Amino acid sequence: MSSEVLLEIRGLTVEFDVPAGRLPAVAGVDLSLRSGEILALVGESGSGKSALSMSLVGLNRGPRAHIGGEVVFGGRDLVAADENELRSVRGKDIAVVFQDALAALNPTQRVGDQVAEMIRTHRKVPKRQARDRAVELLGEVGIANPAQAARAYPHQLSGGMRQRVMIAIGLANDPAVLIADEPTTALDVTIQSQVLRLLKRLQADHGTAIVLITHDLGVVAEVADRVAVMYAGRIVESGTRDEVLFHPQHPYTMGLLSSVPRVDGPPVARLPAIAGSPLTGVARPPGCAFAPRCAFAHPTCGDAIPPLTQRYGGPAHLDRCVLDRSREALEVTP
Amino acid sequence: MRLVLKRLAAVPVVLLVLSTMVFAAIRLLPGSPATGLAAGGASGTATAADITANTEKINAALGLDKSLLSQYWSFLSDIVHLDLGSSFYGGNDIAGLLGDTLPATIELTVAAMLIAVLIGMLTGILAALRRGTWIDTATRTIGTVSFSLPWFALGVLGIVVFGVWLRWLPVIGRLPNALDYHPLTNFVLIDAILQDRPELIWPWLQHLILPATTLALSMAGFITRIVRASVLEVLGDDFVRTARMKGLSPGAILRRHVLRNSSLPIVTVLGLQFGSLLGGSVITETVFSYPGVGNLLVNGILQRDYPIVQGAALAIALLFTLVNVAVDLLYLALDPRLRKA
Repeated sequence: MSSEVLLEIRGLTVEFDVPAGRLPAVAGVDLSLRSGEILALVGESGSGKSALSMSLVGLNRGPRAHIGGEVVFGGRDLVAADENELRSVRGKDIAVVFQDALAALNPTQRVGDQVAEMIRTHRKVPKRQARDRAVELLGEVGIANPAQAARAYPHQLSGGMRQRVMIAIGLANDPAVLIADEPTTALDVTIQSQVLRLLKRLQADHGTAIVLITHDLGVVAEVADRVAVMYAGRIVESGTRDEVLFHPQHPYTMGLLSSVPRVDGPPVARLPAIAGSPLTGVARPPGCAFAPRCAFAHPTCGDAIPPLTQRYGGPAHLDRCVLDRSREALEVTP
Repeated sequence: MRLVLKRLAAVPVVLLVLSTMVFAAIRLLPGSPATGLAAGGASGTATAADITANTEKINAALGLDKSLLSQYWSFLSDIVHLDLGSSFYGGNDIAGLLGDTLPATIELTVAAMLIAVLIGMLTGILAALRRGTWIDTATRTIGTVSFSLPWFALGVLGIVVFGVWLRWLPVIGRLPNALDYHPLTNFVLIDAILQDRPELIWPWLQHLILPATTLALSMAGFITRIVRASVLEVLGDDFVRTARMKGLSPGAILRRHVLRNSSLPIVTVLGLQFGSLLGGSVITETVFSYPGVGNLLVNGILQRDYPIVQGAALAIALLFTLVNVAVDLLYLALDPRLRKA
């Protein structure tokens, strides 16, 4: 794996004005993406993973959004960049594959034209040539009859095909970074794994770095190189896939992992769930956001937000917890 | 395609129901064509006895002495044979009268529609893009006001301001009387091209602009509101975010992604509004003495000229139905999801 840092997020905050006040969707995130890696961003709905990724290219900018911090890409800060500057990055250097391709594709435009539009937005090529390239791309993402599919409207294709079209759009300009926002949630399981393998193969062929947003740890295990776990707008644990999945340090990650059914474990009547519900309101406790739901919480957890630090595992395995892992009682089997 | 065929198949049914209603309604009005004719024909010196005698003679001549059922039957069989009859007064052929007036009404309503769509789309898009600003509020307020003003009030206002005070525009008729016009299709624009007479166009436009704008303003106010709501809804759709992700400019997003998708509810409204436009044209044509079907209809009603009322109402209904079939076709063209393979 190359270690060249492609995109660096520093102190990113995203807040939205809501009737109750200001909702801190992302409350200070530091994260870097290296070229050619697949970084999985894991968390429940409302944990801020989508808000984080959309703010990388300013797609959630608006009168009610307040975005702070820095996103350094290619020597410039995308948070400070104006719309014109961002437009030249969007779709060309950084592209997004959205979930629910049926909604994300224009229902009144042929899919080939939607791919070609992505090409022609950033490159001065004749329409004809862009169309031909679109058909090529549709073939590349595994659509059986690409010339015919290019002439179809989104509603005429299957869910898996539509998601492939979405991926073809994302890859049309060979971006350095591809943000895949829950690309497989709307698909059934067999199609899901086909699409994941496709992403993995394309990433290997093109060297594209992928930010994979998901709440599905199975997806993480299948394709991710590195994992960052988000809770209440902050990263609570990050590390390589094996570190995070097999040696989780943070109680939240442990909880997530123990709620996944396992084929090799003893049969259980009921999967363990994390008690309580995630923080989604405007008000946040002063200390660790997970403490109210944490099985290991003690009084000092509410004092201050623990820093994201390397404590037990490898040099890049960080977590945001104050628990003493040397105590036997904490040994939880994942 | 089946949708359109279905609609076309419904046209005769609609016309049958409508002609029955018109047949009944006009005969429910107090007064009869014969009394008017009888009194008028005696030039003021007629005695009550004369009038009664004349009335009977006239009723017999017009076939109004027969039972309602047999009148209805002969009316229906005439229509089936495409015979709309002739006017009680003067005996003009109804088909000929419609041939003279229908093109004028089509010109008026189409012009009004174009003006309304132009104003409504521009202001509606503007209001949606500047949502929540003073521009949005102002546009919607003006829209609501124009939507609420009755046609006759707007028409009279237009006549007073542009015709009487400013003297910019003619306020009566369709073309100057002095103009030498030999109708071919009776559509002035088409005739001007066919007969190579471009000098017809300017006076025609001058006469058309005031009644057409009168008719258009209330519709424009309505379209503004629909366009605003529709554009706002589409702007929140996921594929618009995809378009932004592609790096498209706001203008390209609006043109290529938002407008087409927000046009569906707008087109529906246009089809339905065309009906009220036709209703409005009856009033507007009367205010401006514009020689269209509406004017013909009003005079027919005032004189109890049954064949004219029946013919004009049928023509208006047919126009409305055909416009709505056209709307269905437009629907299919705009939304591929409706086209069944």
